[in-house]
Amino acid sequence: MKLTEDDSYRTSTQYKHWSFTPAQLASQRRKTNARASARVRANVARQRAERAQLPDNANANASASETDRTGSGVDTGANTPVSADHEVDCLTQDEEMRLVDTFCERALELGKFCKFPTEVTATGIQFLRRFYLFNSPMTYEGQNISRTAMFIANKTEGNHTSVETYAARFPKVTAEQVLAPEYLLVQALRFNFEIRHPFRGLKGGHMELLEMARGHFAPLPADERTSAGVQREMQHLPLKPGGPPTQLAVPALEKRVADAYAFASNVLKTAALLTDAYFLYTPPQIWLSAHLLADEPLTLFYLSAKLPPTHPAHAKTVTTLAACAALLAAHRSFTSDTTSADAKAARNKADAALIKKLRSCRDPDKLDLVKLNQAQKRDAVEGSGALEGGKAKRRKIQREAYEKEADEFWGPELAKNGGRPV
Amino acid sequence: MALPTRRASGAPTKRLAEDGGASPLSRNLHNLSLQPSNATARPPPQTDTSSDICPVCKSSRYLNPNMKFLVNPECYHKMCESCVDRIFSHGPAPCPIAGCKRTLRKARFRKQTFEDLKVEREVDIRKRVAKAMNKCESDFETLKDYNDYLETVESLTWNLILKVDVDDTERRLRLWEDAQKAELHPNATIRRNLDPDPSLPSDTAHVVLKKGATQRKLPINTTTSNNGPNPPAADDKAPDAGFSFAGLKKRIAPEPEKPFDPYGGWSFDPQFYVLQEDYNTPWLAPYKDNPDYLAGGYDITDFYDRALGDAFSGFGVFIEEEVKARKGSAKAKKGTAKAVKAAASNGAVKDVDMDDVF
Ligand SMILES: [Zn+2]
Ligand SMILES: [Zn+2]
Repeated sequence: MKLTEDDSYRTSTQYKHWSFTPAQLASQRRKTNARASARVRANVARQRAERAQLPDNANANASASETDRTGSGVDTGANTPVSADHEVDCLTQDEEMRLVDTFCERALELGKFCKFPTEVTATGIQFLRRFYLFNSPMTYEGQNISRTAMFIANKTEGNHTSVETYAARFPKVTAEQVLAPEYLLVQALRFNFEIRHPFRGLKGGHMELLEMARGHFAPLPADERTSAGVQREMQHLPLKPGGPPTQLAVPALEKRVADAYAFASNVLKTAALLTDAYFLYTPPQIWLSAHLLADEPLTLFYLSAKLPPTHPAHAKTVTTLAACAALLAAHRSFTSDTTSADAKAARNKADAALIKKLRSCRDPDKLDLVKLNQAQKRDAVEGSGALEGGKAKRRKIQREAYEKEADEFWGPELAKNGGRPV
Repeated sequence: MALPTRRASGAPTKRLAEDGGASPLSRNLHNLSLQPSNATARPPPQTDTSSDICPVCKSSRYLNPNMKFLVNPECYHKMCESCVDRIFSHGPAPCPIAGCKRTLRKARFRKQTFEDLKVEREVDIRKRVAKAMNKCESDFETLKDYNDYLETVESLTWNLILKVDVDDTERRLRLWEDAQKAELHPNATIRRNLDPDPSLPSDTAHVVLKKGATQRKLPINTTTSNNGPNPPAADDKAPDAGFSFAGLKKRIAPEPEKPFDPYGGWSFDPQFYVLQEDYNTPWLAPYKDNPDYLAGGYDITDFYDRALGDAFSGFGVFIEEEVKARKGSAKAKKGTAKAVKAAASNGAVKDVDMDDVF
């Protein structure tokens, strides 16, 4: 029984659960957006109704505590639209996507700032993208989630830091804040922690290309060329697609390969992470596309050594690579050199406006993840008022019932005051 | 029978020792009891002394409470531990009991388990026979065959116990043992044949030789039958196994165990690359010969294999096609169903969309 590389990829959760067609992605995002919007509207309406019932005095208190909460949990200072009477203006699907992209870019910067290894940052960003495929930024705020996503990525990639050390990197962030959305996030990831990245694959391809350039390449059994023949063909490759054939010496060829690697590696570390490439394509396709953007003739030549042009899958592979390359090239990190300063400024302004809009349509139930997290645990600070009155009461009654039941069976808890009988 | 008398003699002794200084009379009695030469103090019955006095050195357990008696299953003559040490430490020696003269080895001396040495001996014999005659019901065609076999075993056991036809029974038993051994380890017999053990009894050695020769001869019967030193007539007969049982199934040798395969028959067979011995890549150079990595068992070829495996795992997977193809099929819901329940029982509004995932 033989397994091929593709079989091994098909066993991954990335293939099984996190690969989508573009249509599926769009429809999922639409669904997420619709559900989140409906929930925000309902919750805001309910909150307004509750406010209306309260006397003025209590209302003032409530809004004061509201500000406290947002202050502690959310740095963007999301303010619930309590006073506004008009219908909440929710984010559209496109706006959500742009927001998620912004979060991802910030996460990339965060990774750079914290000097995390590439894989950690890349994994963290993919966690973030996976999370926001099924959750809306209106429900869960990006900054908290990306901090936690990065923390989980550190753990999954084997770059262990204690949560205290990690939290200390950020101003005014406690370990508790990092941990609060952890379970939520991990659950949303369906406990699929493995992200298959194209980085090592690119290195493998680079190794082979270098061997080709030096004339030591071992061709596939079906390939009849000798390693010297491969080298000769490679030396004559045109620099640009459709360009005149060249005659490169081996050192120049090596440099060409190295340059392509450096370029592709950079694309993988930015554009590939910030687009939907991981959802739509497999890691080999991603790294080959990045390489295609770097040096098209070289990549196509390499491809033909793996899949002869006569092979039925060759055309399909080239189409797929081209589509993936187009996706990567369309990302703004790729085109950033050519965009004008005005365009950049305009984009930043749009981003800022978007974040402002987000503040006006946050889900009021999910503002303070720390307290939500506490409320679900036994060590909840009692009567902290994190939850809505009715819910807190119901939970308290439930808990008391459980405790009573347990006490009847096991006997009451031991006295804490030094064991003296009460 | 020995036990009650021992207790009878031991109990007063102990009591005497306890109140040895209590009264002049008891002190007197106590002194008397310490004098074995004194005829009045000696317990008269013969059985009492036989269980407490070593027949070899005549020292008594009375004087040496730590004394232990040992027996050798060769002749079941009892003697004390220090005698065994003294007589047999320098190798096998004849039994010191008058009229016995069997050669005993120190290693085989042991404590007796049963007070009655006859029982001890019978248990030993049964153990030995059971070791050789170890067939079970499933080895026979019918229950009757198995019962016949048990009958044979029992009668030969009684032969040994009652010392009837001991030599013949022993010989047949040994032949049977050898035949069983040969069946279990055919290679071991050949080895023994090449290097015969001179200490073995002659008849056994002969049979083993014969058996080994037969086995060597089996695959190429015609070519080697003439040049063997054994008479061909002996080879033609089936080797004497000591016993023959009707309906005994032929033992089928189990398949030789295959080497352990951690992947259960699966192997990784890369389609898109041929792994080379070495890749000359500048950024790998520092790791190749660095003892910091090598000392820990790091092998750079593992990296090559992994990098190339990563480079192509999923190369031929076209997600758009495959995902569409699998969309129709039922999607796994086991894991998520639980998660939905968990989320619902948390009491919170459904935090994560768990309805239609996967
Ligand atoms: Zn003795
Ligand atoms: Zn003896």
